[in-house]
Amino acid sequence: MDLPVQQFTTKAEQGYLDLFETAQEALPGARDPFVSDLRAAAIGTYGRIGLPHRRIEAWKYTDLRARLTGINPLIKADGAEAGDADLAQALGAGVANLSAYRLVMVEGDLRADLSDLAGLKAAGVEAVSLSRALEKPQAWLKEALARVNPRDDDPVLALNTALMTGGVALRVREGVIVDKPIHLIAIDGAGDPASTFTRNVVIAEAGSSAMLIESFESRRNLQRNAVTELRVGAKAAVKHVKIQRDSAEAFHLSTWLVELGADARYEAFQFSTGAALARNQIYLRFAGEGAAAEICGAFLARGRQHCDTTLLVEHRVPHCVSREFFKGVLDGDARGIFQGKIIVSPGAQKTDGKQMAGALLLSETAEFDSKPELEIFADDVVCGHGSTSGQIDDELLFYLEARGIPEAEARALLVQAFVGEAIERIEDEGLREALRAAAADWLGLSSA
Amino acid sequence: MLEIKNLHVNVDGREILNGLDLTLPQGEIHAIMGPNGSGKSTLAYVLAGKDDYHVTAGSIAWNGEDLLGMEPSERAAKGVFLAFQYPMEIPGVATMTFLRTAVNAVRKARGEPELSTPDFLRFVREKAQALRIDPEMLKRPLNVGFSGGEKKRNEILQMALLEPTLCVLDETDSGLDIDALRVVAEGVNALRTPDRAMLVITHYQRLLTYIVPDRVHVLSEGRVARSGGPELALELEESGYAEFGEAAA
Repeated sequence: MDLPVQQFTTKAEQGYLDLFETAQEALPGARDPFVSDLRAAAIGTYGRIGLPHRRIEAWKYTDLRARLTGINPLIKADGAEAGDADLAQALGAGVANLSAYRLVMVEGDLRADLSDLAGLKAAGVEAVSLSRALEKPQAWLKEALARVNPRDDDPVLALNTALMTGGVALRVREGVIVDKPIHLIAIDGAGDPASTFTRNVVIAEAGSSAMLIESFESRRNLQRNAVTELRVGAKAAVKHVKIQRDSAEAFHLSTWLVELGADARYEAFQFSTGAALARNQIYLRFAGEGAAAEICGAFLARGRQHCDTTLLVEHRVPHCVSREFFKGVLDGDARGIFQGKIIVSPGAQKTDGKQMAGALLLSETAEFDSKPELEIFADDVVCGHGSTSGQIDDELLFYLEARGIPEAEARALLVQAFVGEAIERIEDEGLREALRAAAADWLGLSSA
Repeated sequence: MLEIKNLHVNVDGREILNGLDLTLPQGEIHAIMGPNGSGKSTLAYVLAGKDDYHVTAGSIAWNGEDLLGMEPSERAAKGVFLAFQYPMEIPGVATMTFLRTAVNAVRKARGEPELSTPDFLRFVREKAQALRIDPEMLKRPLNVGFSGGEKKRNEILQMALLEPTLCVLDETDSGLDIDALRVVAEGVNALRTPDRAMLVITHYQRLLTYIVPDRVHVLSEGRVARSGGPELALELEESGYAEFGEAAA
């Protein structure tokens, strides 16, 4: 990536360097050389690149350098109360009631009192708080941390590595089939403006199977930087879901680093309705032959919300299949962005990669920017992309109205149907219904 | 009673209906026939309240109430039902969800209680069975992948569920084979009651063998050119629409 010379360092840019300077002695693992070296290298990377801006192609539509005008102090976990009622309120009943092994992080702090650590252990999953694990990282964590599909050109990721505090490290043992989803719930309730840097490291060993759901909820001016590293071993299968409902003032910067072994299966779904600015990045790399990945999602935005989905799928080996399918609904002055890049390395023959993104614009001022990119260096591949953006079809609307459905309700039904095309791809019925209800809730429809 | 007086309708700057008068009493079925472009489908859409069909003069009253001032959904609540010539496909909306939303919207507007889920399911199953509709079909997205016959039967199912008092059938026979036509006609005839009026729009006499009308009106150039009893349809079958401005096929 070519980086233009920067004229000056913005206040926010400097703010992160100061934040690190002040916090580094107290960050988890400060006395462990492995961890402190990792952090030092990462802040160096960030310092060299600075905050991403629109002249960097991958950030063309999301000028973070311009949008971030100040940096909030690091969040402080104060052991806030968070009972079942709070969770239901925060997540919506449908999502809160999903049958799952819960891991609840309140203000970045993994709360044993709210989490089902014993259940996970019995199910064959090792789960530890990342803050604790960093104090004396075990061999398996050292092998994974900042090493799953690693990148040194992403300043947002580098900031996370430099400042990571909360989050969990999970290891699904070889051959273990986890019987229920693992639900990582990050709640940052009402409070002062804050920054949070959480990091999850998830290893699904060979032949294992698991479903991982990440929920994000906040009710304050939160600058969230969340990273999940996921290594899916040979013949392992992982379903990976994100439900993003951060507060209307929040910045939600999320990066998934995914690496798939031979014959692995990966199904991802990202559901996004929250945050003033959301950047959902997925870097996925095929590391073994015969693997398949499907990345789907739905985003709903209104007002002045900005929702960016940026995917980079690298086919480095032959015989892998990737699918991307996203649907967005944009109202008011909202802006939606979809960037899907597929790179097929020389020799990655028989690659099959397709992407599709569509947006429904509900106002004259909503905007959808879609940028598919294919970089293909092999000759025997099938790759394709498609993109649509349009308005509600008047003919369909009239059909529903002629059946007695009032206009507002008919419109909402059509919007729900549009998003439904993405949500229907979720296999798990409970989750599918929960997200359908969440979409209906956003639309102001009763979910019955 | 449906009373249409001196109706003038403009679509995309063209006058399609041009002083149409029609009276349809309750309990009767009237057929609207006529050559292509005579304004048959326009009449159907105007009754249902489609946008972009501009009424420049005249009136439509249903049971003494002015229909033209009402939104399409209000008209449906007042008992107006249009069976579409080309029913819409809506991926992402399950047929059952659509049916329940429509039935409950209409019931609510009519001041009736919404149906409970079991009551609704029973109601749908009973009506679907009469129309020989496979219950599996109702789980699929609305009209998506339905055959022409399935779509038309689905229209009649909606008609049965919404219990309208003014049924407008726009070319319901188009694209149907004889068996499907019979099933659809049986469904329509089952809804023939003294408090219901029906307007059956068709290009061909064929449908009127199964749905026997009380009166037949022939449209030409946007108005009723001739009216008569059921024998008029047979006469047209013989002579074609030549005298109404269409070259004989």
